[in-house]
Amino acid sequence: MLLLQVDSIADALNSSDWIFATAECCHIAALAWSIGMTAAVDYKLLGFGIQRSTPSKVLRDTTPWTILGFAVVLLSGPILLLSDVRMYLHNPSFRFKMLALALAIVFNFTIHWKVADSDNVSKPVQVITAIVSLALWISVIFGGLFIAFA
Amino acid sequence: MIELFEWLQSLSFMTFIRESGVEYPIVMSTHLTCIGIFGGLIVITDLRLLGLAFRDQTIADIVNGLRWWKRVGFIVMFAMGFTLFGSKAAEYYANPFFWVKMSCLILVLIHALIFRPLVYNHPEQLDATPVIPTRAKAAGALSLILWTAVLCNGRLIGYYEAPVQKRSFGVSSVELK
Repeated sequence: MLLLQVDSIADALNSSDWIFATAECCHIAALAWSIGMTAAVDYKLLGFGIQRSTPSKVLRDTTPWTILGFAVVLLSGPILLLSDVRMYLHNPSFRFKMLALALAIVFNFTIHWKVADSDNVSKPVQVITAIVSLALWISVIFGGLFIAFA
Repeated sequence: MIELFEWLQSLSFMTFIRESGVEYPIVMSTHLTCIGIFGGLIVITDLRLLGLAFRDQTIADIVNGLRWWKRVGFIVMFAMGFTLFGSKAAEYYANPFFWVKMSCLILVLIHALIFRPLVYNHPEQLDATPVIPTRAKAAGALSLILWTAVLCNGRLIGYYEAPVQKRSFGVSSVELK
């Protein structure tokens, strides 16, 4: 029954060439938006980026926009998924992307948040946090793109 | 011009990328990564110029602080994008979304030529005024619109299927993802 429902949703989504394309454009634009905001915090943790500021200040300034971007990414993503659920679930790149995404989100709102929000953290910890954050988000992007080539 | 595109595509490096297994998606992923981790910095600059965000930071701190990151990102993004285009240049030639994207990129260049001397090269002047000047808001708004158009048309390139290939480009439209 569930598979029949999934198939009917997929049929509806695939009934127009533009639904998937529009959802994917929104997905990528919002991805650039949200990951770019997170990257701005990471650059500050690395000691570069916005001048005369602190990681905590950049974090607070970017957070509402990061969450807005994530919301669009997480709304458009399921539309892409539902267009061909079976293909995605059996795709190793999709599984890798979901794992990286889960880790990136958990890391972003726990360790990354705590380190960036405190300007008293040692420099090595800030640098490692920034590198891990960037590596996780780059993994999400690579995993997402390799879905089409798996 | 098609001869030029076919010549570019026939270069050994471009042929290698086109016929490669994992290298082509790696180049494409790197292109997308640059959009992700550097494109967002364009958004930050634009939002500040519009006065919609980061208002407790000066425009100069944001424009000057992010300038080199955006340039590095643009260079890598351009190199990867050119490799993707060159590897399937003849097929891109027939793709209307590719030409719309190129037109948008030319508008981005014109935007830079107009607003660099007016806005980006002198951000301290913008901070000295009580209200953000209209030229700065125009620069931010147009930048957001143009880069969004570049991104969307870049993605739509992969959706276009040529009706009937009259010439043999050596690459099927199905391969252009």
